[in-house]
Amino acid sequence: MEQEIRACLDQKRYQEAFDRLLPEFQNKVFRLAYAMLGDAALAEDMAQEVFIRIWKALPGFRGQSALSTWIYAITRNTCLTALKKGATKRESSLEEPNVARAAEEAGVPPARHGEIDVLRFLHQLPERHRQVLRLYYMEERSYEEVARLLEWPMGTVKTYLHRARKELAEAVARSKMEKGTA
Amino acid sequence: MACAEFEERLLEYAELANGERARVDAHAALCASCREFLEALRTVDSQLTAQLASLEVTPAFAPAVRRRVRRESAVARPSLVPELLDFVGWGAIVALLVLLAWWLAPLSPVSNIKISFNAMYAAAGAFLLAAFLFGIRSFADLKH
Repeated sequence: MEQEIRACLDQKRYQEAFDRLLPEFQNKVFRLAYAMLGDAALAEDMAQEVFIRIWKALPGFRGQSALSTWIYAITRNTCLTALKKGATKRESSLEEPNVARAAEEAGVPPARHGEIDVLRFLHQLPERHRQVLRLYYMEERSYEEVARLLEWPMGTVKTYLHRARKELAEAVARSKMEKGTA
Repeated sequence: MACAEFEERLLEYAELANGERARVDAHAALCASCREFLEALRTVDSQLTAQLASLEVTPAFAPAVRRRVRRESAVARPSLVPELLDFVGWGAIVALLVLLAWWLAPLSPVSNIKISFNAMYAAAGAFLLAAFLFGIRSFADLKH
């Protein structure tokens, strides 16, 4: 697909190139934005912003890097700018209803009655751990894909993931124990 | 929680080779805290995968992006009007300079007719130069 899009760009057929890349990258861009912002509705707004930027920048794409690398860089920069501006300021606990709602819309059953809801514990983690964790589960638990999307070294991704999963597992185990003793 | 010696391997349980996994399983069968940790990890993995792996954009996303792109394209189309106004304005300044040169010509110590002709040539040259420069600018703007 990337070859076809590049061919369109070489022939300055920008509209056609955009029409091809939008369905190809929309979910990747959205997931990266969601991983960085932690809010599904906000991530979708941000993904729209990213595609507008891509559309404007397409004539300037020189093809020195892979198209996907270029698109993810625009996504990261757009999200980082929004985070710096404080446009995404929110209570971290708002994340869970948003994810739960989005998951519900996608047909995913919520945590069953009596089952521990892991999403509840996410806000206890440092932001960077949460970013890695969200991407890890969205991207079929691939360390490589998480490192590629965030452009972080693989070692950093693994370290953050291990710490995050360990903390969550401990929180879940504690919660189970409390339920058992209650 | 889990035994320090096994914690790392429990966190990488899914990627362990068969022999290593059997060793971890044998330990977990005897160690309650490692067993609980492994079970809690499985809860974390299964719940977060179920809730996050299916997250996608809403069906309204792509149409909304396309609408915005169409709007952006319309806004980005350059207009000739500012360039024309620019051109008329500068043309008027040049014309005023020509009139001023014409008016000052009789005051010159050199013969009236000669100065008038010089002033006319200078004004016409300035006008053409200005027209040429603004023409280039309009063309460059239109290209972008």
